[in-house]
Amino acid sequence: MSDDVLLRATDIVKSFTSRGKKLGARSVATAVNGVSLEVRRGETLGIVGESGCGKSTLARCLVQLLPVTSGTVEFNGATLTGLSRRQMRPHRREMQLVFQDPYASLNPRRTVGDIVADPMRINKVGTEAEIGERVRELFATVGLDPASLRRYPHEFSGGQRQRIGIARSLSLNPSLVVADEPVSALDVSVQAQVLNLMADLQETFKLTYLFIAHDLGVVRHVSDRVGVMYLGEIVELGEAEVLYEKPLHPYTEALLSVVPELNDTDAPRRERILISGDVPDPSDRPTGCAFHPRCPVATAVCRTDKPAFVELRTGRFVACHHPRNLDA
Amino acid sequence: MLSVRDLRVSFATRQGALRAVDGLSFDVGSKEVLGIVGESGSGKSVAMYSMLGLVRDSNVTISGSVKFEGREILGLSDREMQSVRGGDIGMIFQDPMTALTPVYTVGWQIVEQIRAHTDMTKQQARERAIGLLGEVGIPDPKSRVDHYPHEFSGGMRQRVVIAMALSCNPKLLIADEPTTALDVTTQAQILDLMLKMQESYGSSIVIITHDMGVIAEMAHRVVVMYAGRPAEIGPEVDVVRYPRHPYTWGLLGAVPRVDSKNRRLVTIPGTSVSPLDVPEGCAFGPRCEHRMEICDERPVLHGPGDHLDACWLSDAQRLAIRSARSVAGGAS
Repeated sequence: MSDDVLLRATDIVKSFTSRGKKLGARSVATAVNGVSLEVRRGETLGIVGESGCGKSTLARCLVQLLPVTSGTVEFNGATLTGLSRRQMRPHRREMQLVFQDPYASLNPRRTVGDIVADPMRINKVGTEAEIGERVRELFATVGLDPASLRRYPHEFSGGQRQRIGIARSLSLNPSLVVADEPVSALDVSVQAQVLNLMADLQETFKLTYLFIAHDLGVVRHVSDRVGVMYLGEIVELGEAEVLYEKPLHPYTEALLSVVPELNDTDAPRRERILISGDVPDPSDRPTGCAFHPRCPVATAVCRTDKPAFVELRTGRFVACHHPRNLDA
Repeated sequence: MLSVRDLRVSFATRQGALRAVDGLSFDVGSKEVLGIVGESGSGKSVAMYSMLGLVRDSNVTISGSVKFEGREILGLSDREMQSVRGGDIGMIFQDPMTALTPVYTVGWQIVEQIRAHTDMTKQQARERAIGLLGEVGIPDPKSRVDHYPHEFSGGMRQRVVIAMALSCNPKLLIADEPTTALDVTTQAQILDLMLKMQESYGSSIVIITHDMGVIAEMAHRVVVMYAGRPAEIGPEVDVVRYPRHPYTWGLLGAVPRVDSKNRRLVTIPGTSVSPLDVPEGCAFGPRCEHRMEICDERPVLHGPGDHLDACWLSDAQRLAIRSARSVAGGAS
């Protein structure tokens, strides 16, 4: 693994088996279907997709909170898949999570100071006094008053709670922070504060972010590179700027075209491409390309052959038989 | 069509009066789409619900005037209000799962509403329900009419709710965050549908949302609310391109854009004021970087033409602030 790659996932599959509608029947939903990606040191890789596309499941598989069905995850040169909990522990310190719901991800019965201190206590990284000092330092770093660390989560607003979640994720000096919809529960003015904070922290602590969100504007804002997921697969991946300007996959193109925009300049807006229907059931995947039933440019080959995920241009990956915007 | 004057809604609580809506006035013209935008707790939903008599709480005090087609509807009896709601005024709620009852088929629910407001027979009403479901883009409406809400996807459920709202040819549609629970591709389908339906039914729409993008796509005019008060009212294009109130500057600058990348988002310092503790003067004062002495007095909505704002800054001051910002590269 080359030095600048922090995390590499190869052909990750995660499926869930559930009881089917009929007695005794089993149905298998494939939430993540063969995802390969690399996260480079110091970058922000954004993963964007609609609900049910498997982006959160992918994140949990990458940090080994969920066992993968198949595929491998390498982190910092070590293979994580197949490790026991004990073997996993030293790696866990290096990869921390920030969750979506700042109300559900903080224990209501512990003070916020304890919440931030717990990871350090569990990993025995110093005396109680040293940990206390570090907690105060972290509070100041994320813009919270260190005097408030004996309070409980319910005494804080949504934005402040998300800051507490971020302080907790930084307590063990991780190299990778996986943020799963960290701002989607926040109002837009608070969202901006948290996004700016995360950008500052990345610079100060040289963090690598895997940033998962459904909001295309947020993902563009934070990401160096972006992967677009549809029905458990990454259908396109590339530099954020190029991907947003000249999307290759028809799904990306349609997705970007329908985001409501502020028309505050005279620049013509993108032509809207409305895609019909809903995302199919992951336990009943379409044949060929998973997007073909809704794709405006699908042809016969899309119904039968699954397109390979290939590097069409340097650094630009796409899984499509009829990529768009290639001439430009 | 709809004319709201000095609407005030306050709740008596143990901590004192909670002023959820504090002096809201606006008009909605015929076939107009009015957007009401604000962050959570700004009072935008409470304002609509109290207008329609949907806020039932012994501790609530509602005052002001709400005229619908010239008729005062604030303070109507429940029975009179029921004939207005669902009849001439249709409603679309945020969460289509709670707006529909899970124990009856969608057809039953639409028929029920049509029969409550018209004298159609059951058979006629059912025909109309099937027709409506087809109109809002539900495939195979003849069989889907007998399905239960849980058998529909989120987007399809919202279509059912829209069909229901349209069932009595309303003159006014009130949509409270109609697409917030939906994915962006589904949101586009639903917004598209609402505009089409508005065209063919000729109804006015009041759309309540936190998303400035949705406002920009849909609305002709916008009301920006902060802490229960209107901060700025004006034509959509003017408010988005030439916002006048510092809160609107912050709100617009904080949106991460799909069409361009700004290094840094504009943030509004602090958090929204508690509705229990709204300052006597300008509600936005405590968070405003352009605060002046006079801001301890409450500003009234004023402005040239139809673009109004509640801010003490003079035009010259605003111009200076905005040009300083654009030189600094910040979006406003």
